[in-house]
Amino acid sequence: MGAQFDITYVFEYFIKLLPFIKISLLIVAGSILLGLGFGFLAALPRLYKIPVLKQLSQIYASFFRGTPILIQLFLLYYGLPEILKLVSIDISKLPVLLFVIIAYGLHSGAYVSEGIRAAVSAVDRGQVEAAYAIGMTGFQAFSRIVFPQALAISIPILANLVIATLKDTSLAFTLGVMELTGKSQTLPTMSRHFIETYIALAAVYFMISFILEKLFHLAELRLLRHETGVVKASRISLVRKWLNRELPAEIALNKGGSGI
Amino acid sequence: MKLDFSFLWTAFIKLLPAVPTTINITVVSVLCGFIIGTFVALSRIYKVPVLNQISTVYVTIIRGTPMLTHLMILYVGLPLLIDGLGKEFGWSFRSVSIPMIGFAYISFSITAGAYFSEVIRSGMQAVNKGQLEAAHAIGMTTPQALRRIVFPQAFAAALPNLSNSVIGMLHGSTLAFTVSVVDINAQAQIVASTNWKFFEAYLAAALVFWGLTILIERLTALLEKRVNLYNRGGVA
Amino acid sequence: MIKLRQISKSFGRNEVLKGIDLTVEKGEVVAILGPSGSGKTTLLRCINYLEKPNDGEISIDDFTVHCRKPVKKDIHILRQKTAMVFQQYNLFRHKTALENVMEGLVIVKKLPKDEARKKSIELLEKVGLGNKLDSYPSQLSGGQQQRVGIARALALNPEVILFDEPTSALDPELVGEVLAVIRKIAKEGITMIIVTHEMSFAQDVANHVVFMDEGVIVEEGNPREIFQSPKEERTRQFLARITPESTYVI
Repeated sequence: MGAQFDITYVFEYFIKLLPFIKISLLIVAGSILLGLGFGFLAALPRLYKIPVLKQLSQIYASFFRGTPILIQLFLLYYGLPEILKLVSIDISKLPVLLFVIIAYGLHSGAYVSEGIRAAVSAVDRGQVEAAYAIGMTGFQAFSRIVFPQALAISIPILANLVIATLKDTSLAFTLGVMELTGKSQTLPTMSRHFIETYIALAAVYFMISFILEKLFHLAELRLLRHETGVVKASRISLVRKWLNRELPAEIALNKGGSGI
Repeated sequence: MKLDFSFLWTAFIKLLPAVPTTINITVVSVLCGFIIGTFVALSRIYKVPVLNQISTVYVTIIRGTPMLTHLMILYVGLPLLIDGLGKEFGWSFRSVSIPMIGFAYISFSITAGAYFSEVIRSGMQAVNKGQLEAAHAIGMTTPQALRRIVFPQAFAAALPNLSNSVIGMLHGSTLAFTVSVVDINAQAQIVASTNWKFFEAYLAAALVFWGLTILIERLTALLEKRVNLYNRGGVA
Repeated sequence: MIKLRQISKSFGRNEVLKGIDLTVEKGEVVAILGPSGSGKTTLLRCINYLEKPNDGEISIDDFTVHCRKPVKKDIHILRQKTAMVFQQYNLFRHKTALENVMEGLVIVKKLPKDEARKKSIELLEKVGLGNKLDSYPSQLSGGQQQRVGIARALALNPEVILFDEPTSALDPELVGEVLAVIRKIAKEGITMIIVTHEMSFAQDVANHVVFMDEGVIVEEGNPREIFQSPKEERTRQFLARITPESTYVI
């Protein structure tokens, strides 16, 4: 299979893939934004223990965390038009890209809702009590005390999710979307240099996740500057250690291996 | 929408023969990944020269790239390598005799190894340093201390993450379709396109995966209860 | 004047407070003593509604909360009339010392920012932390954090400050600095209710001592009565167990 390995093809394909980063990133950005919305909506009934809605959001989170993203892509691609046809909206003409973003959005929303729950419950109970004790209302205590702290705690969770979603977008090619992986499938058809293409593809993904990780790390340091004693001592590991201590064990900080 | 329930059931039945394939891939990649992960984690924790650096590069690269690319590179790279070496040394073994599922096994194990090493590493780091010192103080050797004191506690700490990673590998096994292995996902594709009922077929596949995932979660919860008895302090 | 009438509180079937009556005059420093599990912290937390009493009345001057059917707005007013210093300090972790003190002034009392800042700086200087304005809680020692906590409570000009074992989370060598600050503000005539284990401190600073056990007030009176000639056997036993070595010299 394929031709003799030739490193120059790796560089050539790497350059050729670069323009398609924006499609992959578009899917990531769109679906994370959508996911934040879905996730927030799904987290509220569980934080405030609203009956029925709470169960629904649990089922939502369980389903989208409990099934492979690949299956979800197909399910949504074939299912959504049918469902919307019921309310006589015809979306069969919409671009595939939109389905893909909705699918990844629903998927990441499930993780966002769990993340929000975890981050909010990781904020020490004493913080809320102190807020009440100085006379704050429930809303003031949430928006001024709990939320900013939860935000700092959730940055690594969000970072993980964004990078996992980036890696997941490599599956969008199965629906014919021309993102990085989709493009890479078309490159070696003439030259037969498959391995070079895939190495170039992996390198592009690696580059993006590396940059994203650095950016999130900066954001984390900034939001956690109040934990200076911890942050200064060592760079990333101690920040994570602090977080791991604060977070209840059952919420793993990451998607595990599922960020394929 | 006319959801065809009877076909949903038919699809479900037709998917069942593919379940063992999915489970095989998951189990093999989890077991191999766990072994690789343990070695990698230990060489990083104890900063074994050379191995530590190699491990770091391995983990960083694998975690920074999609699992799909690992499979693709291995799928086209391994035959090049084997046949190249074979020609050099006159082996009779040719890459065509590797079964397709073999690529999935190898590639997913490499992927899993990187993720598991991180899980194991953070589990080990969660064990208080005093535990190891106390074990040394009563005269245990380091391997004894690791085996009898540190590992059991690390396992308890890592359990939720381990479970997540196993679920991740279960879901990741759907990628095997790209190397023509017929797992649940590929079977769903076949069922869907032969009957022209895509939604029902994939819904059935989703339900199977959902069930398997919940099963793993339940088992983890049971295991956690047993393992964490000591954490609660009481004699419950 | 603060009046508690028939305050009772249960957690599930466990009755923690069994109808507490207590009157605190303006400017009094009340020390609540008692073995652990006697309900003293719960009582303190009921006064600003961090715990909901099941029954009873809480009055501050002519403002009253009826605990059986409390109005949300009343709880809010009650909390503005009281302030609390916590055992675990509970400083807002994402805010500096100065911001911690300003927070209540700006958000709750709606003071203009520069006015709040001026007042907060004064208070932090008063507790001896004029040089730590921009430090985050994680950069402060326990004793320093607790002094910020006291400044935060003072800032709100409350009718009463509630102290929940303010020194029991501190390293022994840091206890003194916190007690010194409390002693200093006690002299200014601010009403305080202190749950504490520091007997000599209680004896020395309080002018009203309450001894609690098993959810009831066993005995109360001025410190000399309680410490030198307790009437009740339970008080005597408790003091005999605890007094000998409680000597933090300030």
